[in-house]
Amino acid sequence: MKTDNYDVVVVGSGIAGAVIAKTLTNAGKKVLLLEAGLQAGIALDPEESYKTYQGYLETFYEAGAKVPNSPYPDLKDAPSINILDIVKLQKSNTPSTVGYLVQKGPVPFASDCFRGPGGTTLHWLGTTLRMLPNDFKMKTVYNQNVDWPLTYDELKPYYEMAELEIGVSGDVEEQKYPDIPKDFFGKDYVFPMEKIPQSYLDKEIAKKTDKLKVTLNRKEYELSCISTPQGRNSTPNEDYKYGSIVWDPSKKKLALKTQPKTYNPDGSLWDPYTGQRCEGNASCVPICPVQAKYNALKTLKKATLENLEVITQAVASKINTDDHSGEVTGIEYKIYKHKGSPEYTTATATGTIYVLAASAIENAKILLASNVGNTSDQVGRNLMDHLVLLTWGLTKEKIYPYRGPGSTTNIPTFRDGAFRSEHAAWISPLDNWGWSWPTFSPGSDVTNALNEGVFGKALRNRMNDLVTRQFLLHFEVEQSPDAGNRVTIDPQYLDAIKNYRPVISYGVSEYNLKAFEASKTVSDQIFAANGIEDHTVYNPVTDADYVTYKGQGYTFRGAGHIVGTHRMGFTKDDSVVDKNQRSWEHPNLYLVGCGNMPTLGTSNPTLTMTALTFQAAENILKQLEQ
Amino acid sequence: MTIQRSEKDLFLEISVYLTGFDEAELQGTGMVNTYYQAVLSNNTQPDVAYFFEMVATILQQNEGNEDALNKAISIHLMPASAYSGMAMNIINMWYTGNWGQNVVSGQAYIQGLIWDAAEAHPPGAKQPGYGSWAIPPL
Ligand SMILES: Cc1cc2nc3c(=O)[nH]c(=O)nc-3n(C[C@H](O)[C@H](O)[C@H](O)COP(=O)(O)OP(=O)(O)OC[C@H]3O[C@@H](n4cnc5c(N)ncnc54)[C@H](O)[C@@H]3O)c2cc1C
Ligand code: SF4
Repeated sequence: MKTDNYDVVVVGSGIAGAVIAKTLTNAGKKVLLLEAGLQAGIALDPEESYKTYQGYLETFYEAGAKVPNSPYPDLKDAPSINILDIVKLQKSNTPSTVGYLVQKGPVPFASDCFRGPGGTTLHWLGTTLRMLPNDFKMKTVYNQNVDWPLTYDELKPYYEMAELEIGVSGDVEEQKYPDIPKDFFGKDYVFPMEKIPQSYLDKEIAKKTDKLKVTLNRKEYELSCISTPQGRNSTPNEDYKYGSIVWDPSKKKLALKTQPKTYNPDGSLWDPYTGQRCEGNASCVPICPVQAKYNALKTLKKATLENLEVITQAVASKINTDDHSGEVTGIEYKIYKHKGSPEYTTATATGTIYVLAASAIENAKILLASNVGNTSDQVGRNLMDHLVLLTWGLTKEKIYPYRGPGSTTNIPTFRDGAFRSEHAAWISPLDNWGWSWPTFSPGSDVTNALNEGVFGKALRNRMNDLVTRQFLLHFEVEQSPDAGNRVTIDPQYLDAIKNYRPVISYGVSEYNLKAFEASKTVSDQIFAANGIEDHTVYNPVTDADYVTYKGQGYTFRGAGHIVGTHRMGFTKDDSVVDKNQRSWEHPNLYLVGCGNMPTLGTSNPTLTMTALTFQAAENILKQLEQ
Repeated sequence: MTIQRSEKDLFLEISVYLTGFDEAELQGTGMVNTYYQAVLSNNTQPDVAYFFEMVATILQQNEGNEDALNKAISIHLMPASAYSGMAMNIINMWYTGNWGQNVVSGQAYIQGLIWDAAEAHPPGAKQPGYGSWAIPPL
């Protein structure tokens, strides 16, 4: 479909952009989607999508460091953040310019994302927890952070849409979080699919951890271990009744439509019968070989294609506005001819409404580059992530890690509670992949043994004994919004086609450091109860994100949760968008994605962001049909 | 009578003692040829020649006595200073599919013996099927 008159121009084909494109085209609107990544990646037909994806898989097999972006093309014309570029910052005033981000510190921002068709869901893990009611009113309840202009109850119907869109597997009955009301999930609500089986490891650890009493700051807490809802396919739940999300023009609302048939899991792009169940590839990050795990291209495939025009290799760089009305008049983008080519041409996309869905850092960067939407001076500020403190050790008995999806069980006990007036909350996923994250096991275990001269049967036995007992625990600490943690731009730092590179200032507040101290205390008690020998090491010399609190050092890692750079708020002075996710100053500009979230809570952000994005789609439809 | 064994035969035979996996397991990876070629292409010709000369000698001298053979391997092959660390690199290749830091091939990654040693499977391949992770490995 080619026209000069698009209803909506969307930037980015990640889950946020795909949800907008699908919802609006299904409602009959004409959408132009600009995507920075390569043409090949957008293929939705069986043959081409298979070919591209097999290429990603082969690249992954051949990659020396199997980091999240390792299967995917890194483009000079639209570079991706890569965790391999996160280096320890020197104490001088010169920022690190290794990689795409310019990192000013004091510590480097530790997460990456993927710029290409389908966006970061290609390598996300797929954990899909909802936020808790108190997460939306941190200021009111705990006098910390800020409140949202939305409540949990307002978002609840949209959470159900997001759970259908992503295809969540989980057991509602088991979802017991601290302080939640009885109707946290609606009456008789179930997820589309049964829970993903919890790992053998989870069950072994839960034996001594579920109901374990731990003491923290002289208060006793009883831990629980529960199954984690996630966006990967399992057995359909016979009681799930919804089939699609539709726009009701008379009520001016989106609604879940019931279907008589049993829910049918969305398989791979190339074959609906491949990927209908998670097959235990244990490589969800960075790539699920069978696409049993959700990715945003599955949503894009459900768009009404005759209403959708996609331009790839099109990097949005500037928003043009009308000085008088404030209306956006177009989005300038640079088209590069082929991968790595420094040559580009510039064009302008026009429509009635504009939506930025380029993910939090890029959205902020485009706004800053255009000097648009920033009367509040909040654009780029409050950059957040979950600060992941890892602890690891060896169990007495074999627990057989490196099998199954990344995580199938979590400890939700510290997701909410009175302690939040003192220190940050966290969630603790149990990890199924041994020590691979912190120590690059099992490859490094082989190297270590070889350096000790171990070989032959002794080596085989050592590996069997060691690797099968590796246990890893996460403490994903909620980072608070801090105005100083921010994205800025600087004409000194440009990429190959003369777009700005994001310049990042980033640090950790005392409220968060206290949570590191607290989580290590809890970890020690869990390890003691399970007879786990602690092997955790935080290295002050080599670890890029090493911080200290009360004389103790901690290393945190990024969770990939890039949040908060164009926050939603109550007035045009405190925020970039209103509760409708529309720019306060530009009535035909919407921002979508995790950048809108005023705070992070303790759940991985994408489910909440997707719920918000359905709400944004509804608001856009309302505006178009005024 | 001693039968003249080719370097490739010697490579397979010594790999059994270096890795702790028997010949059938090593053959089962389908990587013997590739790995032998990787040895040739990642080392100098003299190192390779001296290495296999030593391998032939210690295999012959210690035939039938595994303890003595292991001792000889320890002394003559395992030190980092022996043949530019070739034995260590060979073991690492069988276990991880890498020669040093470099991945030999996508298939080499998939066939890494470490995953068998750990009673797991290479992430992204040889998937054991829905729910398999909920029980101990078979
Ligand atoms: C390793 C890892 C694991 C994760 N696991 C989880 C998890 O378990 N649960 C969870 O909730 N979240 C998880 N996340 C976070 C999750 O992946 C993101 O929140 C989510 O994918 C963001 O979606 P998005 O559509 O906003 O942005 P993205 O998916 O990043 O998509 C942005 C899109 O915009 C395009 N784009 C960017 N710039 C431009 C431009 N200038 N012009 C045109 N197009 C542009 C990009 O190419 C891309 O298509 C994880 C992240 C990582 C890195
Ligand atoms: S465990 Fe394997 S099949 Fe399941 S989602 Fe992860 S990568 Fe895909």
